[in-house]
Amino acid sequence: MAERSDTPLDAADDPVTVQALERIRAELPDVEVLARTTGAHPFLGVPAGDLRAVCRLLRDDPALRYDCCHLISAVDWPEPAEGEPHIDVIYHLVSYVVRQDAAYAARAEKNDPFLALAVRVPRDAPEVPTVMDIWIGADWHERETWDLMGVRFTGRAELPRILLPEDWPGHPLRKDWEFPASYHGVPIIPPDGL
Amino acid sequence: MSDGASQNPGPDLRSGGEPAGVVEFHERQEAVGRDVRTEEMVFNMGPQHPATHGVLRVAVKTDGEYVRALQPHVGNIHRCAEKIGESVAFYQWIPYLDRMDYLSAMCNEHIGCMAIERLGGIEVPERAEYIRVIVAEIQRVLSHLMAIGVYGLDLGAFTPFLHQFRERERGMDLLDHLAGGRLLYHYVRIGGVKRDFSQDWLDELEAFLAAVERRLPEYNTLLLNNRIFQERTFHVGVIDHPTAAAWGVTGPALRAAGVDWDLRRDVPYSIYDRFEFEVPHGYSGIGGEAGDCFHRHWVRVREVEASIKIIRQALAQMPEGPVMGRVPKGFKPPEGQVFVRGENPRGELAVYMVSAGKQDKAWRARCRGPSFSNIACITEVAEGMLIADLVALIGSLDIVLGEVDR
Repeated sequence: MAERSDTPLDAADDPVTVQALERIRAELPDVEVLARTTGAHPFLGVPAGDLRAVCRLLRDDPALRYDCCHLISAVDWPEPAEGEPHIDVIYHLVSYVVRQDAAYAARAEKNDPFLALAVRVPRDAPEVPTVMDIWIGADWHERETWDLMGVRFTGRAELPRILLPEDWPGHPLRKDWEFPASYHGVPIIPPDGL
Repeated sequence: MSDGASQNPGPDLRSGGEPAGVVEFHERQEAVGRDVRTEEMVFNMGPQHPATHGVLRVAVKTDGEYVRALQPHVGNIHRCAEKIGESVAFYQWIPYLDRMDYLSAMCNEHIGCMAIERLGGIEVPERAEYIRVIVAEIQRVLSHLMAIGVYGLDLGAFTPFLHQFRERERGMDLLDHLAGGRLLYHYVRIGGVKRDFSQDWLDELEAFLAAVERRLPEYNTLLLNNRIFQERTFHVGVIDHPTAAAWGVTGPALRAAGVDWDLRRDVPYSIYDRFEFEVPHGYSGIGGEAGDCFHRHWVRVREVEASIKIIRQALAQMPEGPVMGRVPKGFKPPEGQVFVRGENPRGELAVYMVSAGKQDKAWRARCRGPSFSNIACITEVAEGMLIADLVALIGSLDIVLGEVDR
């Protein structure tokens, strides 16, 4: 999350995220959740330790019912403007049960009614608890995030790579990843500009 | 080993309320099981296999003709689309979007450009929005024609595959005349589209739409209304609403499960809110049960009709004007993030983009290919299926491996 530009979220901007925030505050008073927005992307900052409790609430609460974990992404910030080097793991959730039509209409810029969660983890030991048992579809997204960004998801039986071979060196989407000189004796010539 | 057979009375295959014929078959299997030693076997389906629609390898653990467990292995054609996305300038990334889902290149470009435009606050001219919708819907028709024809091929019906290519060829010529490419176009650009329609092209388009409308009932005679096809796909590979949502299955497969949801109608991006069209979703009244292979096929056929309807409305409403907006030279969007999703022929394509500011390239360019989540669900759905039905299931999901592996 670019700290420099995100701002506290206003209920007028985004009823979807604020509704989720209110439900979390009511049901899980001990969890520290921050509602922020970066441009047109509102999100809830959740501590890694509370992620599973929050996700379970978001899935099961009758007013929310986020039944689909649409996308899991990770963003590498090796030199943030402030704070320690970190990786943000972003969860985009959507609901096919609760119709957010009214919320959609209210949301600025024709933005659609997704809910984004952001978990910030230190860059040298990125560990996030798995949500695979909450949304089974998170399985492959977690594997991909591990494969390409090197975020370790704990609490699952195994975490194999998915797109790259098991013995591939490093996690290529890290900003400091460098092309290996060769792979199994085949020389690798990085293309210009990469 | 004389008592080997008694230790192995054959698999218990009767669970799950199957039709009478299948139960009889299972009884025979059990009788066979008393005499014949069977054991579980693991084999690879793919990576080069006609029914996997690309280089997908599925490790299948079988018990006779039944699938006990399976694990898809993807990544064979991983081309680092996301790494490239953060290494090249925004406008240079558009052709890579084409190559993700190569059967719906126009739709990918449309959604990718929308993400970049929202990041940079770029306005798109009205006429360009209409052109984008028209080419995206032509692409959807072409993609679904392919899906319909190839699904017949998967199930052993060769003829519809050849027939659909007659119409598909016309459509590909159409996009070729417009964009200069048959499969990969790089036609939708940041801020608009490359060039305007000509009158000749519009006449060609009308002829193409008329041809598809005329031929669609013929395809339906060959497949959708064909008793053999129906018997082959009813109750096979059922993905219900909770399963689909939990796995992130979207698009025709989600609608086939009975979910009345289409991003074009429910979260209208671009200018989709200006058109009237039907969103087909599965129900048991058409035969079989909601979420089976037949419903997925049926939804695609109905969506072709809906797309033609959208194209005709767009042509009627389309205003005159420029097709390219103002895009600053050396475009550098401010810091920010966007999450944009749109309805592709295969499901919801989402682009999550982070700009760190003062750069002409993205800090992070994340794509969610719908096929990636759609194919993941077969680990659960295919358990206990016949191997031949596994082919029917994978075919009905209509995956493109270019998008799974990106």
